[in-house]
Amino acid sequence: MEPFVFFGGKGGVGKTTVSCAYGLKCARADRETLVVSTDPAHSVSDVFDQQFGDDPAPVEGIDGLHAMEIDPDDEVQRHLDGIRSDLSEQVSAAMVNEINQQLEMAHRTPGAYESALFDRFVDVMRNADPYDRVVFDTSPTGSTLRLLGLPEFLEGWIERLMHKREQSIDLFEKAAIGNNEPRRVMDGDPVLARLRGRKEFFEFAGGALREDAAFFLVLNPDQLSVNETGRAIAELREKDLAVRGLIANRLTPEPDPDEDGRGARYLRDRVETERDRLRQVREEFDPPLVAEIESRTAEVRGDLLGDVADELAVETDVERPSFV
Amino acid sequence: MELADRIERAERALREWARGLYHGMISHPAYEKIEKEAEDLEDAFMLACFPDAFGIPSPVSYYTAELLPFIEDEFEAWERRLWDRGTLIERKGQQYHF
Repeated sequence: MEPFVFFGGKGGVGKTTVSCAYGLKCARADRETLVVSTDPAHSVSDVFDQQFGDDPAPVEGIDGLHAMEIDPDDEVQRHLDGIRSDLSEQVSAAMVNEINQQLEMAHRTPGAYESALFDRFVDVMRNADPYDRVVFDTSPTGSTLRLLGLPEFLEGWIERLMHKREQSIDLFEKAAIGNNEPRRVMDGDPVLARLRGRKEFFEFAGGALREDAAFFLVLNPDQLSVNETGRAIAELREKDLAVRGLIANRLTPEPDPDEDGRGARYLRDRVETERDRLRQVREEFDPPLVAEIESRTAEVRGDLLGDVADELAVETDVERPSFV
Repeated sequence: MELADRIERAERALREWARGLYHGMISHPAYEKIEKEAEDLEDAFMLACFPDAFGIPSPVSYYTAELLPFIEDEFEAWERRLWDRGTLIERKGQQYHF
């Protein structure tokens, strides 16, 4: 299977648990594995009972498993600082203030957070060399879908910008008659160079997502979760990113047949409802249901994570990346 | 001798006038026009890069902000042109010398 594996789904269905369990499974199968949380409300730290930061750190007690949590705030700040230092090198003091304002504004627009997150996870994919497999624990459906839809959209946008820039430089060159120095020249134009760099970045992101990534959706056996999963499948397909499989989490365990207390009846009813939902999932959705994970009485961490990993029928072998 | 000098002087004056006339009527308006068109295109580029300067949120302004250090002059000229510009017709009209 592809080296990059994404787990998505509605909020609270257990994406983090499944991602960590899968990470563990891969590590046990002797693959160097990195678990990356892109959900601003991080919980990978809670599952492994260990604090993770913006750089990959080894998970204690598990060989071959690393984890990291992307902090978009940090990333926005880093981006801002980078531009500021460029600014102080290039721009005269008088203009710095003016431009600084523009800069601050750009980093407070609603899209900045998403862009930062996107930049960072593409960066992780790009530098995935030391790892055989990178597992992404994504944020709830809506924002992840938007994130994954970015490359194509941005590529087109940057292309239009480059075209405009080229046109105006071309005219400036033409306007320089005789010995006049043209106001801008095409060769070595830093703006075009920057735009080109960005375009390559988005091309890489789009290619890596289409060729080297596999997507799984986690769902709970209730109507809301099933509906949202259906929408997510459709939306991902629209973006040419097919969902490889579905994982049903938090299934209610069935009581023994001889039990007939109130609790047993409750469970039996519940199991019946869930069976209906799962049937719906099997019949209506195209991606196969690859794992059914029973609900646990305690939070899934430590040894329990190993049990969950065993239930997860998702293959661990890694194909060589074809695009990266 | 003296006549030749005077002819030469007159010729020189005539040539200068002719060149001036040509420059003023033909070549200057021509490159001015092209330059103005280039500026207009650049304005469109700047607007596409920084629509948030006008309160229009843009999904890419986070990325285009990276260009800011390299377009100091453009940025300033852009702002100035925007302040100057009464209407689009006025700006287009400037390109014609009646």
